[in-house]
Amino acid sequence: MIVLGSTSEVAQAFVEKALQEGEKFEKIYLFTSNKETAERFARHIDVKFVQQSEIIELDLTREIDYTTFDNINSNVLFCATGYLGEGTEEGLYDNKNTEKIIHINYSKLVPVMNYFAQKFESRRSGTIIGLSSVAGDRGRQSNFIYGSAKAAFTAYLSGLRNYLFDKKVHVLTIKPGFMATKMTEGLPLNPKLTATPKQAATCIYKAYKKQKNVAYVLPIWAVIMMIIRNIPEFIFKKLKL
Amino acid sequence: MKPNFIQKVTNWGNFPVVEKEMKSEDSFRKIKEFVLNHNEVIARGNGRCYGDASLGEHIFSTKKLNKFISFDRLNGIIECESGVLLSEVLEISVPQGYFLYVTPGTKFVSVGGAIASDVHGKNHHAEGCFSEYVIEFKLMNESGDIMTCSREENSDKFWATIGGMGLTGIILTAKFKLKNIESAYIRQESIKAENLDEIFRLFDESESWTYTVAWIDCLQKGKDIGRSILMRGEHAFQHELPDHLKKNPLRLKGKFEPTVPFYFPNFVLNSLTVKIFNLLYYKKQAKKEVKNFIDYETFFYPLDAVHEWNRIYGKSGFIQYQMVIPKETGKEGMKKILETIAHSGNGSFLAVLKLFGKNNPQAYNSFPVEGYTLALDFKVNSKLKKLVDKLDEIVQEFGGRIYLTKDSMSRSSLTNYLKNIQNPKFVSLQHKRIINNN
Repeated sequence: MIVLGSTSEVAQAFVEKALQEGEKFEKIYLFTSNKETAERFARHIDVKFVQQSEIIELDLTREIDYTTFDNINSNVLFCATGYLGEGTEEGLYDNKNTEKIIHINYSKLVPVMNYFAQKFESRRSGTIIGLSSVAGDRGRQSNFIYGSAKAAFTAYLSGLRNYLFDKKVHVLTIKPGFMATKMTEGLPLNPKLTATPKQAATCIYKAYKKQKNVAYVLPIWAVIMMIIRNIPEFIFKKLKL
Repeated sequence: MKPNFIQKVTNWGNFPVVEKEMKSEDSFRKIKEFVLNHNEVIARGNGRCYGDASLGEHIFSTKKLNKFISFDRLNGIIECESGVLLSEVLEISVPQGYFLYVTPGTKFVSVGGAIASDVHGKNHHAEGCFSEYVIEFKLMNESGDIMTCSREENSDKFWATIGGMGLTGIILTAKFKLKNIESAYIRQESIKAENLDEIFRLFDESESWTYTVAWIDCLQKGKDIGRSILMRGEHAFQHELPDHLKKNPLRLKGKFEPTVPFYFPNFVLNSLTVKIFNLLYYKKQAKKEVKNFIDYETFFYPLDAVHEWNRIYGKSGFIQYQMVIPKETGKEGMKKILETIAHSGNGSFLAVLKLFGKNNPQAYNSFPVEGYTLALDFKVNSKLKKLVDKLDEIVQEFGGRIYLTKDSMSRSSLTNYLKNIQNPKFVSLQHKRIINNN
């Protein structure tokens, strides 16, 4: 398994879920910009599941040397890379913040995804799982830079799914909604709308096994986002969402 | 939205509830920042202590320190971060033929919490406390430095931290020994006792058993006082097991584990319902003596099977009152305690009696001393403080003490037994309460 954003709690919970379910991987490739946390996880899965893994540094804000990925091959790619950045008020007109959000969530991430997609295509098998966001379903004033990058990522995954369909590679788009993770720690989230990383991992694993195309982590979010998407623009623009 | 780490926090008894800062980090560098930037820090694991021991002005939650570090499968030595739960240790270790040397009555406590409380189990008389099997741990002190503590290295900090209720620093990781088992099952004998004399006799007779504990019906009066069921057990060898368990002796089947869906209304638990429960529990076992094989979960953690069972006590919460009375006067003291409870009508849903063995004098902050220990649940209501006062008085009279991990309202003369922990950086609400009442 290839894991992009391997220090994400959801990514780690997904890896554990898959191993618990008895999936076998020759090696798990943990891509990360935070080596220390990834190393902790690598040791953890070795102790718990006797699972070998390798840590590969990947910093999407820097130049990427693709040749270092040459020997990496797997049947599953899980992408949990994401960066929320500063919310609108604090960070909207901060160019560095805007660039970083767009780079990590879309512009620098997609070439990496494509690099591996090509390997999947040539092998004609496998699953690519991408964590997008409900924020990408409609731009809202509270986080629309992040939302727009996620919208682009959702569109990318949708196109990739279409492109790889007859090449026997499946692409799954996950839209998590609120999750109780590092990204949202300390924010006042409604517990009924918030999934723990473990819950999210169980949902994602099910969707992966059922070869779903798009899945919301908590079903309630499908309903919420359907409503939000369908509010007429002349009303929507006046809302404080 | 700016993050706000002030939140409502409460431990397993849902009493008291406080609004304080609680934060969790997984990098030692960030934990150091947290320690250096705040006064009055206290670590909190899974919040399974009952009262106010892990509450404080600035709570550091070890929930994110949840990774395993190493497992020496040959010698049964495991190392993990302090937020790892005992249940997670068992998940890995049992299928490989290893069990915890010492486990409390719930597997949902963190390893850090087990050390800070120096938890005991049904085998205290035979195998002591959790600390006996701790090889070393890493402790972050008030300057944010990480010290390795063991019997040889920084041994003063090692012993002060054991049972030290988090007042010496933040435990980051721990390495400890596990015991060999051949099966995930326990060979159990349960014996009914008519009264206190009989149960004490049974405890004495059962000294050679590794695990002993008694459930006691604390609402009985007169000649029935101390009516109880003694349970004693041993890890079953593979060859002893009945045929259907022999094939896969280290694996348990998944069981249905219900969750209490909401806080029960206040009228549900009262002395009548507790009386009925106790009667049914006692009568459920028809024979005087029953011998059987049961899985380790049912033997050690019967309550863990019902998730969030603390909700049956309603929103006002409950306390657990656990005391120990030295052996010489233990029987007399227990009798007085049970009489007081029976007369108060304040029933306890769950009353557990146990005989502690000799304590380790090096682990001077540990709660257990040789004698009888009784643990009782009481729902929080307006009459409770009065009952606790009365019970405290008896415990005091007989030279006993209170288990800090469960305490939230006992008098300071029974709870101020910790030594070498004065540290202005690490302070809990419990410690402040005890000091201020002195």
